[in-house]
Amino acid sequence: MKRAVAAAGPLAPAALLTAIAFVLPLAWLLRLSLDRSSGGGMLVDAVTAANYLRFLGDGFYLGVLWRSTWMAALASALTLLLSYPLALFLARTRSRWRGFLAVLTIAPLLVSSVVRTFGWMVILGDQGWVNGLLRLVSLTAAPLRLMNNMLGVLIGLTEVMMPVMTLALIAGFARLDPTLEEAARSLGAPPRKVLLRVTLPLSMPGVLLGSLVTFVLSISSFVTPKLLGGGRVAVLATSIYEEALETLNWPFAAAISVVLVAVFGVALMLYERAMRRWMI
Amino acid sequence: MAGAAPPAMAADAPYLKLAGLAKRYDGGQAAVAGLDLAVARGEFVTLLGPSGCGKTTTLRMIAGLVEPSAGRIEVAGIDVTKVPAHRRNMGVVFQSYALFPHLSVARNVAFGLEMRDLPRGSIERRVTEALALVRLAELAERKPKALSGGQQQRVALARALVIEPSVLLLDEPLSNLDAKLREELRDEIRDIQRRLGITAIFVTHDQMEALTMSDRIVLMNAGRIEQVGSPAELYERPASPFVAGFIGRMNRLTAAVTASGGGRSRLDASGLSLMASRELPLGVRVTVMVRPHRIRLSARGGGAGEGNAVRARVRKLVFAGEAVQLEIDAAGLVLRVEQPTGGGGWVPGIGEEVAATWSLDDTLVFAER
Amino acid sequence: MRRRRILGPKLVLAALIALSPCLAAPSPAAEPSGDIVLMAYPGAFQDNYVKAVVEPFMKAHPGVKVTYNPGGNSAQMLGLLRAQKANPQVDVAIIDFSVSRVGNKEGIFSKLDRKDVPNLADIYDEARMPGDMGPGITFDNLVMLYGPDQVKPAPTGIKDLLDPKNKGKIGFSPAPNVIGIALQIVVAKAIGVGYKAPIDPVIAELKKIAQNVQTWQATPDNYTMIINGALALGIGWNARAQFYADKSGGKVKSIVMQEGGILDMDTINLVAGSRNPAAALAFIDYALGPEPQKRMAEAMYYGPTNKKAVLPPELMARTSSAPATLAKMIPVDWDYVASVQDQWTERWRREVIPAQ
Ligand SMILES: Nc1ncnc2c1ncn2[C@@H]1O[C@H](COP(=O)(O)OP(=O)(O)OP(=O)(O)O)[C@@H](O)[C@H]1O
Ligand SMILES: [Mg+2]
Repeated sequence: MKRAVAAAGPLAPAALLTAIAFVLPLAWLLRLSLDRSSGGGMLVDAVTAANYLRFLGDGFYLGVLWRSTWMAALASALTLLLSYPLALFLARTRSRWRGFLAVLTIAPLLVSSVVRTFGWMVILGDQGWVNGLLRLVSLTAAPLRLMNNMLGVLIGLTEVMMPVMTLALIAGFARLDPTLEEAARSLGAPPRKVLLRVTLPLSMPGVLLGSLVTFVLSISSFVTPKLLGGGRVAVLATSIYEEALETLNWPFAAAISVVLVAVFGVALMLYERAMRRWMI
Repeated sequence: MAGAAPPAMAADAPYLKLAGLAKRYDGGQAAVAGLDLAVARGEFVTLLGPSGCGKTTTLRMIAGLVEPSAGRIEVAGIDVTKVPAHRRNMGVVFQSYALFPHLSVARNVAFGLEMRDLPRGSIERRVTEALALVRLAELAERKPKALSGGQQQRVALARALVIEPSVLLLDEPLSNLDAKLREELRDEIRDIQRRLGITAIFVTHDQMEALTMSDRIVLMNAGRIEQVGSPAELYERPASPFVAGFIGRMNRLTAAVTASGGGRSRLDASGLSLMASRELPLGVRVTVMVRPHRIRLSARGGGAGEGNAVRARVRKLVFAGEAVQLEIDAAGLVLRVEQPTGGGGWVPGIGEEVAATWSLDDTLVFAER
Repeated sequence: MRRRRILGPKLVLAALIALSPCLAAPSPAAEPSGDIVLMAYPGAFQDNYVKAVVEPFMKAHPGVKVTYNPGGNSAQMLGLLRAQKANPQVDVAIIDFSVSRVGNKEGIFSKLDRKDVPNLADIYDEARMPGDMGPGITFDNLVMLYGPDQVKPAPTGIKDLLDPKNKGKIGFSPAPNVIGIALQIVVAKAIGVGYKAPIDPVIAELKKIAQNVQTWQATPDNYTMIINGALALGIGWNARAQFYADKSGGKVKSIVMQEGGILDMDTINLVAGSRNPAAALAFIDYALGPEPQKRMAEAMYYGPTNKKAVLPPELMARTSSAPATLAKMIPVDWDYVASVQDQWTERWRREVIPAQ
């Protein structure tokens, strides 16, 4: 017991920082979520579960929760699908362009996601490049609705998340011994089987980490659903924004935030469990 | 593939044939520069040579893991140069074992069989047999991480053997093991290879491994073959000073031919007069080599037969268990000498004057190029 | 002695001139001094407000230093004020009236006394807040925005939002944004029911409009999207529409819908617990005066709330304070709207926004 306390000594600054940066705001959020808001955004001191009951008892908000979850899961899956070959290539290539390509891959991180989302609006809009091209080859009469809906949000999220996922995957591949793949080949595994039976399972830690990070970032992302969703894609983050800044119902906004934190918790738990399965 | 019987061929036709095999990694020097080699079925051939001489590259070209820059690889008369690794049916044992860390021992061994789409039952049976062969039956369900180095290496061997490969390729499989285990596994590998009658190419830079295990040794240097032959041939009749120096210990002297005739030559090595058992052109500079344990020491010298004899003084003496290692000074030239302990040879003291003699057969002479 | 007699009257005159603001005030307690913090919108509003109001005020009251603290949008500012309620760091706040109503009820703002703020006497009735709380300083009104190249003839009202030929070309902010709430009131009028009547028919009408909507989240805003042709119709605010009309050379225009408009305003509020109420009140009074309001109208087309502000007729016509415009505004019981706003918003979220 004493020894545990002594060992914790050097951790004290980190613990303090965590308390200030994480625990305190969360505690404040929890407290606020138990308050009440009278019509028009007036804040009333109270201790009530009303906000949670409202969220959980209302199909609309459960729908928001469900939509947020599958949107984030689908965005993570799409990101993984696109990033995996890219990361594999970057991790393996001996090309002298490798450094350049790697920088190119993560360069989007240097640009704010707002700007990147604007870029997608230029591409996906009714007057955008895609629809322009389709019009040019007279494939479509009316413009295709590529944004201001869930499709646009998924496209945007996938692009925004790709650098993060690619970095996580590259880190995973770096720990994968290439002779294992050679061993598989020598044992008669064609390239597809090498990928499925050796590369993929062994890169699972990277896959899981990348998926966790993109899931969490996607489900809490606000800019992309807001700007590319055209106001039609109601997810937890946009609901929190609306409640906090438009209807001024802070207690309810706090309750939705707590639900979001709970989703993070579940995601983290699933990650831990999957990691235990795949950690070698 | 696995089950296909090799086409019938003459008994003495080579089973594995390398012709002009070469590899130049992009930009670099040739790692392997035109290798010709024929290996008979069931033969155990070792590629031996110093680090960087191209052993691994050669092995990997045979496995199909490295594409040759030039040359041809034939197995049982069929050109496999362009056949991808997964269709070559080569069993490879890697230096790092390369066991799949996410699969159990049994599943590691089963991997190659699963790739061949064999029925479940037959896979189980052959995995059990293979694990029994390497005496690991009871560890079948362990993960590789939970095994010792030697056990891991035996799993790797079982995994390579279970697919009944055309050729077993082993790249320094023992170099990560401690000396005692290495000797044990050395015998075990050789024993299994003989029992199965499998053709094996074994890469090592350890001459003891090469000498004790091989039917034939291919001694490589800088991407080329220096000599191919049985261990005894390489040891007793090395084709070059490189071979002589690489296998076993050697004294090396340089000398000039001063007289020649009657199947003999007289050499002068910095004042020391020596005899060689063949005729060499006068004035040619030669390298003279003699193994330390082939030199006999005696108090007065003389003795029967033709040979070389020099007088020397003992400079240094080290007791090394099975032998005493000495350094003697013969007119300014230092020779290393080994005398067996336990009455097999006479052992002088330091500073003592001795006669050192060795036979003409043990006097290796190479004309300098 | 002689000199003094000659100089005397001049000195008195100079003193009178210098003191005139104080003398004019009914209770000239003392010339205010010290520092105050004004919190209001960032961006173009800040640039113009500092030039049109803050700097002239400091010239007139050299003893007062006003620090402009850009607090974000109205809700964000309310949040900051809530957080500082025990120890306010802000003395005067300019925020939207729909938000200042909440602040008034929460006790974040103080009521104003006509003795301290003489200019209150000249404020339009429309700009007064219940209980003599911080009044409006700028008027704005709900308008229909359109691109004259795309909508021909020019739109007139709600029927243009329902017109199938405008499908996919409309963008505006839905409830809970004030624009959505205000539009609902106009639509109620258009179909001949009051906004206090049961809202099912209004929601049904809004759902039809929703089918023509391209985006509920115009980016950066629907004025810009109309200018660059991505949208043809929208709902917005007059002042911004006038500003963009000038800036774009007429690529976006606006009308008050035939059904009517909704008056919107920014209010100026004294923060309860201000540490320098004298200077804060002096500033509020100054901001409500005719001259500063005129300058804001000139800079940003905000309609003055002071009846005595005299604008050139062409400019006046383009602000909400134009008599013709004020006459078209639908009177709204905002207390009632505040009480049903959450229900309206829920209907928008569930039925209007998802309507395809
Ligand atoms: N992938 C590669 N790319 C470039 N050069 C290589 C590559 N692999 C090996 N080489 C070079 O080719 C030469 C032969 O290498 P190889 O690995 O075949 O030697 P080796 O005989 O197996 O040596 P060791 O005993 O150290 O394992 C070396 O000079 C090495 O640097
Ligand atoms: Mg090697």
